[in-house]
Amino acid sequence: MVGKERRYILAGVVILGFFALFSLLWGQYPISLELLGVYLQHLLFDTPADPSCNMELIHNIITEIRLPRILLAILIGAALATSGAVFQAMFVNPLVSPGILGVLAGASFGAACGMLLSENWLVVQVMAFVFGFIAVGFAVLVGSMVTNSRSTVMLVLGGVISGSLFTSLLSVVKYVADPYSTLPAIVYWLMGSLSMAQLNEVLLVAVPILMSIAGMVFMSKYFDLLSLGDEEAKALGVNVGLIRIIAIVLATLASSLAVVMAGIIGWVGLIIPHIIRMAIGPSHKLLVPLSAIVGGTFLLAADAVSRLALSVEIPIGILTSLIGIPIFIIVLKNARAAWN
Amino acid sequence: MELAPMIEVKDLHFAYKKHKVLKGIDFSLFRGEVVSLLGPNGCGKSTLIRLILKLLDGEDKIRLEGRSLRTYSHKEIAAHIAYIPQYHHVPFGYSVLEMVVMGRVSKLGFFASSSKKDYEVASAALCRVGIEELENRPFGQLSGGQKQLVLLARAIAQEVNVFIMDEPVNGLDYGNQIRLLELIGSLAKEGYTFLKTTHYPDHALLVSTRVVVMDGGKIIADGAPEEVIHSDMIKRVYGINAEIITHDLHKRCVPVFR
Repeated sequence: MVGKERRYILAGVVILGFFALFSLLWGQYPISLELLGVYLQHLLFDTPADPSCNMELIHNIITEIRLPRILLAILIGAALATSGAVFQAMFVNPLVSPGILGVLAGASFGAACGMLLSENWLVVQVMAFVFGFIAVGFAVLVGSMVTNSRSTVMLVLGGVISGSLFTSLLSVVKYVADPYSTLPAIVYWLMGSLSMAQLNEVLLVAVPILMSIAGMVFMSKYFDLLSLGDEEAKALGVNVGLIRIIAIVLATLASSLAVVMAGIIGWVGLIIPHIIRMAIGPSHKLLVPLSAIVGGTFLLAADAVSRLALSVEIPIGILTSLIGIPIFIIVLKNARAAWN
Repeated sequence: MELAPMIEVKDLHFAYKKHKVLKGIDFSLFRGEVVSLLGPNGCGKSTLIRLILKLLDGEDKIRLEGRSLRTYSHKEIAAHIAYIPQYHHVPFGYSVLEMVVMGRVSKLGFFASSSKKDYEVASAALCRVGIEELENRPFGQLSGGQKQLVLLARAIAQEVNVFIMDEPVNGLDYGNQIRLLELIGSLAKEGYTFLKTTHYPDHALLVSTRVVVMDGGKIIADGAPEEVIHSDMIKRVYGINAEIITHDLHKRCVPVFR
């Protein structure tokens, strides 16, 4: 059992590595594996480069364009899928995700406000997190207004209302934004794009995202217990209130930061946990870490398609919806077996 | 039986908002006992159990191992008491073994994950209740009787002495009811302490060392099963007629129509 978990995670990491390597080599300017080897030798051991291959160009392509984009795709896919798995566990509800709970809408409203108010990157991040958190709170509040019990449908409805509210507020922000500079920036960023990635920004946001993912992975054994209901979890020795609030804060933080970096990328947080549950089982000890790995791989692959499929780049948020919707329909068909 | 009680409840009152449920409960549970808690619906049995497990606030009047329950965390309580709820729906399809391993979580540090030993203890617990062949089956697909056994195995995996059960035979078929009572009896012989609520005076006669009867938020009888369970008590608490008969030296409670 314990060995099995390790094997799945190792296999996931290897597959992720393959996709990352592919993305590093493939593009409008293809780099061969040999050339990458020469470049790495040049970089690490300072060996003199063959003047026929343009080392400076390759260096620029890799460090300026491809590497930051690959890292960002993995980070954001991992953040969204892990948050989705955790939200589903926290609300004992297989239908929720950062998108459905309104976190993405709330965070994008917060981030847009931040862009309007300040040039400072940190302000944008903090605003995104605060409004992401307010959006979840609002969804839960609306969901529990009609029934006191935690009802699956009511929480989804609460999320829809919360999402609409913050989408409307976002329109207000767009309306007042400067139509020549701020407005186009907001609109393009909201469609979802990884192309703006800069290595130093990516590394900066990687720290809080990886920390919240690690936190959720470490707490994953409690998520199984929380899904049995609060009373039973308490009787088994779990500090339910503390675990729930930490988990929701971490999931909101990770998904809000994903919004700040790449706009609204929907469906990843909903479908990835479902696919893993169907393939491997519902135990969160494996579901949470695998969601991170598979989510990262999925977004990396989707980004490769968005770059390479057509001559123009398709915004990644649109692509994940187009891929996610048919997958979710298949998932729904098989859902009963996987949830129960 | 030791002199100091494991669990001691003194003059416990409890109300949900304005609705008084418990009106001065004095109750003790000693190591090695099998106590059946009898009483009609709404008499406060389940409330008392939830208070002892600290699932409701009222811990001032409750002591566990001589210490006020207020000073215990849920993790510490789980190191003394295992709770076996009525079997229920679980939204995600965990396997039987995963359900049982969850009983070990109070033994783990905050960042630790279940070890090989935890899985071994869980497997052994499934063996003890006789359903080791169900190990990899999804919990949701089991019958009510099997689910109840899984929850009992989870309590065994928790490695504590006191088991609190809420109407353990509820919803089980006749055969599984009796088999579960037999299993409780045999676990009690191994030294486990039981506190269980029940709707069946006859089951209380079958497996208990002591019977506590509650009515209207008060304990109205507390003593040996044969002394407590008699026609007058049944008439008073449940409003029906029943006779106590003797079969093979054992007392049985049989309802009769008049």
